[in-house]
Amino acid sequence: MKIELISFGKISEFINNQNIEVDGIADTDAFKQYLENQFPALKSMKYKLALNKNIVQENTEITNNATIAIMPPFSGG
Amino acid sequence: MSEKKIKNIFVNGPIEPAFIADSIAKHNSKTAIGGHSIFMGQVRKDEIEGKFVAAITYTAYEDLALEKMHQIREDIFEKYPLNCMHIYHSLGMVKTGEICLFVFTSSAHRKPAMAACSEVVDRLKAELPIWGKEIFEDETHQWKENI
Repeated sequence: MKIELISFGKISEFINNQNIEVDGIADTDAFKQYLENQFPALKSMKYKLALNKNIVQENTEITNNATIAIMPPFSGG
Repeated sequence: MSEKKIKNIFVNGPIEPAFIADSIAKHNSKTAIGGHSIFMGQVRKDEIEGKFVAAITYTAYEDLALEKMHQIREDIFEKYPLNCMHIYHSLGMVKTGEICLFVFTSSAHRKPAMAACSEVVDRLKAELPIWGKEIFEDETHQWKENI
């Protein structure tokens, strides 16, 4: 399964935007686990995911060619 | 739901005082309005561990931010009897003392304009995917976090 990964703010300093190929990841909870294994620095950070431009509020199924954004706490205004 | 027209709110660099003045002037033909409320966010020269902030560089997940702003706008128009509402947020570098946020609400009488203005500012700080990177005078940086 192909996923386009994009990151913002502080997280963009250690996770570049990239296309990844993963198998056996069905939903956003599993994807978080995957991310925290790949990028251990995430474990101690607050962040939210957006799946195809929707902020993930509860575990959501991921389908092929999804775009997933990793977002640290907001600081606009 | 009303027809979806996503408005852009982002401007590159600081929001110029002349732009704000011009925006106010444009309302002189809208004679049903009796009260305006304006909020302007300005980049503050914070001192953190002996270093001073020189500027903030803003980035955003623009598509998602505009989508979210559209929802907030609809909620606010539903809640308050407003004549109009304008919102602008900077992207890129804004130096200390410059304006990075401009929220402008108008209504027939003052109270809805004031309440809506305050609510929009609270909501956009909490809900829009925008990030501010504080650049210090020595060119080091830290990422802001809204409380």
